[in-house]
Amino acid sequence: MKLLFKLAAKNLIGAGLRTWLNVIVLSFSFLIIIWHKGLLNGWDRQARNDMVNWETGTGQYWQSSYDPYDPFSLTDSHSKIPTVFDTLSVKGEIAPVLITEGTIYPGGRIQSIIIKGISSEQKVLKLPSAMFLKSNDELPVLIGSKMAHDNGLKPGDEITIRWRDIHGTFDANEMKVIGVFETNVPTVDAGQVWVPLERLQKMMGMPGEATILICGNVDSATLKPAGWKFKSSKELLKSVTDIIKMKAVGGIVLYIILMSLAMLAIFDTQVLSIFRRQKEIGTYIALGMTRSQVVGLFTIEGSLNSVLAALLAAVYGIPILALQASKGLSFAGASKDYGLVVADKIFPVYSIGLVVTTIILIMITTTIVSYLPSRKIAKMKPTEALRGKLQ
Amino acid sequence: MENSTLISIEGLKKHFLTAGGRFTALNGIDLTIGKAEFTGIVGPSGSGKTTLLNIIGSLDSPSEGRVVVLGQSISDLNVKQAALLRRTRLGFIFQSYNLLPVYTVFENVEFPLLLLKPDDNQRRKMVMDSLEWLGLTDKLKSKPAQLSGGECQRVAIARAMVKKPEIVLADEPTANLDAANSHNILKAMVQLNSEFKTTFIFATHDDKVISYLKRKISLVDGKVVKDEITNN
Repeated sequence: MKLLFKLAAKNLIGAGLRTWLNVIVLSFSFLIIIWHKGLLNGWDRQARNDMVNWETGTGQYWQSSYDPYDPFSLTDSHSKIPTVFDTLSVKGEIAPVLITEGTIYPGGRIQSIIIKGISSEQKVLKLPSAMFLKSNDELPVLIGSKMAHDNGLKPGDEITIRWRDIHGTFDANEMKVIGVFETNVPTVDAGQVWVPLERLQKMMGMPGEATILICGNVDSATLKPAGWKFKSSKELLKSVTDIIKMKAVGGIVLYIILMSLAMLAIFDTQVLSIFRRQKEIGTYIALGMTRSQVVGLFTIEGSLNSVLAALLAAVYGIPILALQASKGLSFAGASKDYGLVVADKIFPVYSIGLVVTTIILIMITTTIVSYLPSRKIAKMKPTEALRGKLQ
Repeated sequence: MENSTLISIEGLKKHFLTAGGRFTALNGIDLTIGKAEFTGIVGPSGSGKTTLLNIIGSLDSPSEGRVVVLGQSISDLNVKQAALLRRTRLGFIFQSYNLLPVYTVFENVEFPLLLLKPDDNQRRKMVMDSLEWLGLTDKLKSKPAQLSGGECQRVAIARAMVKKPEIVLADEPTANLDAANSHNILKAMVQLNSEFKTTFIFATHDDKVISYLKRKISLVDGKVVKDEITNN
């Protein structure tokens, strides 16, 4: 086997340009597949971190009636914050959030919004709720940059907000935008305003109540208060996981196209090689190689393309990928435009596992593609091969 | 000519299926070839020379009859045994040299030894000896494309001789060479034959080759029509 590898390497290098064309094409495939997977990994990591930091925490307790996909459920989705959370709440390790619907009137238009009340002292989310503590305004609100952009709002602006309290009575007031925060998570930004929890509880007539409780550490998950259901981080991140999975499936199409191009080149080269090198095949057999050894030699020759491609991809790919991993890749505006959790810059993550898996996958595929045409050698008559006669 | 028989052929027939039906290339050959012979199978094109050589070289098998080469019946050999026979005890020289194009002269000659796996020093010595016999020591690093036809054929002979086989089978070895190169090649082979007692069997219709043969087996339409010892 060692001899076959040695001979195959010699033949492959000796084939010159033909080999290098295949190797270059295959190295592109290596690089693009690794880059794309790394990008998805980076996005996945960033999206999860952002979701945890801005929206989900490490888990959430939902008031039993709460359904985030049903706005009508908000009317009934509120309960007293269980006393078991008092200590955590004081420490800021749990963030109670009261959620309701409302309306604002920016520029004379009517705009339905979600009003979220959050504790000023919370340390669970990155939301700058501490700003509420510095405000003396009657109804201070924080909004995200998308919300600000969509409605032409900026810090200091005052605008009418209307809501219905616990009895269904409409009420209205002037809210003041005290801050605009930047986030990659559109679900805490678009179409919503954040107000101090106590203020919203008062506006709604729901003192001490909340809709969800956002946990800041995993220990909180051990508590099981009645009337509240726990949602693990995994459940809460399912939507983003699903989107990334979908993107990964879409990526497979790209991989298949790239691999097909590279494999077609290798298959073609193998077929041509076997056609053009019949005399050589006959000579190998005359000199004492078995036909299966010659099949092995040609298969190894073909599969060594992937080894050379991996080496070549490493030479020019590592600097490119390393640069991207450190500088990031700009996706500015993607989260705002498409409602996806995408940072302005994604930093691709290339794990050893990703690289090794990709290399092994491509090597196996290349070996199979190299072997298929090589099988023809096993059926060749050496006497015909020596004459270079087409078989 | 020495007496010990290396090749024994009895009632050899070889048929091929063609579009026009069955074609008989060899039609009842009986022969024995001994150690250190310098024998030629001569005859016009289509007489069955190459087919006979291929069967002796275990590259093909008889349709009928018995061919025993170096004590082994060709019909009874499986693929691996036939490959082993060729690898260890037979050498081949072809009309168009059949050198491996990406290998240097040294590597081409070394190739049969790689399959036999002697140690590096021994292998190198054997290759150098073989190249020395053929006067190729100044072409070690040349590739076949950089050599003349005569040089290529000398490399092919060196490759065939490097493992010191008992039998060398040469199929039209001078067909692509001019007269001067042909004579040089043939003289080299005569010398190797006398020095190492290697049996040379040629398939040829070239008069230059015939003029060097010590035994001439004439084949016409797959039959031996004359088997004569020459005065060479």
